[in-house]
Amino acid sequence: MICRFFFCAAAAFAGLVVATATAQAHPHIWVTVKSELVYAPDGTVTGVRHAWTFDDMFSVFATQGIESKKKGEFTREELAPLAEVNVTSLKEYDFFTYAKANGKKIEFNEPLADYYLDFNPKDTVLTLYFTLPLKTPVKAKDLTLEVYDREFFVDFSFAEKDPVKLVGAPAHCKLSIGRPQEMNAALTQQLSQLPADQRDPSLTIGAEYANKIAVKCP
Amino acid sequence: MSVKIVGRRPVVQIVLLVTVIAGVLFAAGLFDGAFAQAGPFGAPRSQAPAQPVGGVLGWIFAKQAEFYRQFSSLLRAAKADGSAAWSLFGLSFLYGIFHAAGPGHGKAVISSYIVANNETWTRGVVLSFASALLQALVAVAVVGLVAALLNATAATMGRAVNVIEIVSYSLIIVIGVRLLWVKGRAFLALLHTLHRPAAVGAAVTPRGHDHAHHDHAHHGHAHNDHDHGHDHDHHHHGEGHAHHHHAHDEEEASAWGHAHAPEPEELAGPGGWKRGLSAIVAVGLRPCSGAILVLVFALAQGLFWAGVASTFVMGIGTAITVALIASIAVGARAWAQQLADARSGYGMLAMRGVEVGAAVVIIAFGALLLTGYMVTERMVGI
Repeated sequence: MICRFFFCAAAAFAGLVVATATAQAHPHIWVTVKSELVYAPDGTVTGVRHAWTFDDMFSVFATQGIESKKKGEFTREELAPLAEVNVTSLKEYDFFTYAKANGKKIEFNEPLADYYLDFNPKDTVLTLYFTLPLKTPVKAKDLTLEVYDREFFVDFSFAEKDPVKLVGAPAHCKLSIGRPQEMNAALTQQLSQLPADQRDPSLTIGAEYANKIAVKCP
Repeated sequence: MSVKIVGRRPVVQIVLLVTVIAGVLFAAGLFDGAFAQAGPFGAPRSQAPAQPVGGVLGWIFAKQAEFYRQFSSLLRAAKADGSAAWSLFGLSFLYGIFHAAGPGHGKAVISSYIVANNETWTRGVVLSFASALLQALVAVAVVGLVAALLNATAATMGRAVNVIEIVSYSLIIVIGVRLLWVKGRAFLALLHTLHRPAAVGAAVTPRGHDHAHHDHAHHGHAHNDHDHGHDHDHHHHGEGHAHHHHAHDEEEASAWGHAHAPEPEELAGPGGWKRGLSAIVAVGLRPCSGAILVLVFALAQGLFWAGVASTFVMGIGTAITVALIASIAVGARAWAQQLADARSGYGMLAMRGVEVGAAVVIIAFGALLLTGYMVTERMVGI
């Protein structure tokens, strides 16, 4: 009796705490992604070139207090310190970029030094350009690249137009792009080939294929 | 209930209590890991993509994002046409309501605080509103000072918020430790008297507490005249006794013969507002990142006033949700109290146990937030 009561009381409290504690954040930054997969002449993938455009609210916030010669406009030089902060802090989040070659995770090195920020005064949006080189260039029959923030503080989505380009890729390589809530034939086929030990993809289809690039070079 | 099992039962309950608290924290940790956390301090980050969140949470989540995304265009519109400001305020209100249902430690800490401290409904609501409005005020102050007056960068603002965070989270820990100290002693004292029934009569003397002790059923009673807003029904036990139980907490810490226990006036009742203030400050100090972004954007549009108004409207919306959750906490506590009253001595022990648990949860929250393991809302520093 007592134990049952106690359990009830504790369970009620536990439920309350869990309910209040586990709610999550919503995105505060929206990023439109354009990426390029860079290939070497020998057909290996050497890295990814990103161009991330931030939403206007965040862009205005990020440029707050930065001195500029012309009001409301910023040059690359004026934005250089901000670009450095961005790229440095992105390291902590693995640059939100995850790649697999032939089903195996592949690692990236630090971004090349040629990164920069661009400000579009018309839309008041910032775009961050940076290149992530692969630790070791790979030749992959099957390459996937995903861009996401698992904490969902940053909402990444591919640009409507030309979201991904293959630069210098062998001619027979085929590119497919998965967007959230969107399935194409290539993805359907891929899904059907998922090994049995993977969790049921039908339940998590939106997330699994959020912003996923797949390149097949048979 | 027989006297014989007295020695065993509390042990069972303590084990249960510890298990449940550990379970709660573990569950919270799991959820954190699964959804939003991992944290910027080098905690391991899983490679798994974010799981889609369905149901009510998912909907709340989607709505917030939807509202939030409209802020910038509405602020731009308000610049050209003043009437768009009304849409902005309406949206801010909705966003506040939904936002508070989402992230943030405010609700959790306030709810735990209410459970641990046996606060009344009125006080729960006032706590919710005061902390939400303080939160809005801090956001306006930070942006007003750092951005509008000093024209400093977003990075400076981030650092300012960081300092505020550390103070806020430390305060939460202090409040939790203080509650644990009071509640833990009350719990142990009650446990002690339940173990040694004969000592009870002698232990309870101060403050005109009326105590009745029975060998057959261990009713731990402490009764005083404070009105805590909880009026519990009379419970008729098998023995034919009718007892009036008041839900009071700290009083018992002193009632059980602890000369060094804090003065009850300091802890509950009218004087408790001072203590409530510490909870308001601890929870309300940390400004919401969303509000800061909106304020900075409004400032850039030359519409700082609209940003300020929007922030306060957001605060009111937030307060309504937090007050609602606080009310549930008050109700749950009252319900548990009722069950506890029906169980006399051990019921009260269980209540003390729940209070101790709530205090532990507050400390855990503060500690996780402070160490960066749990991020209620990442400050925009990317």
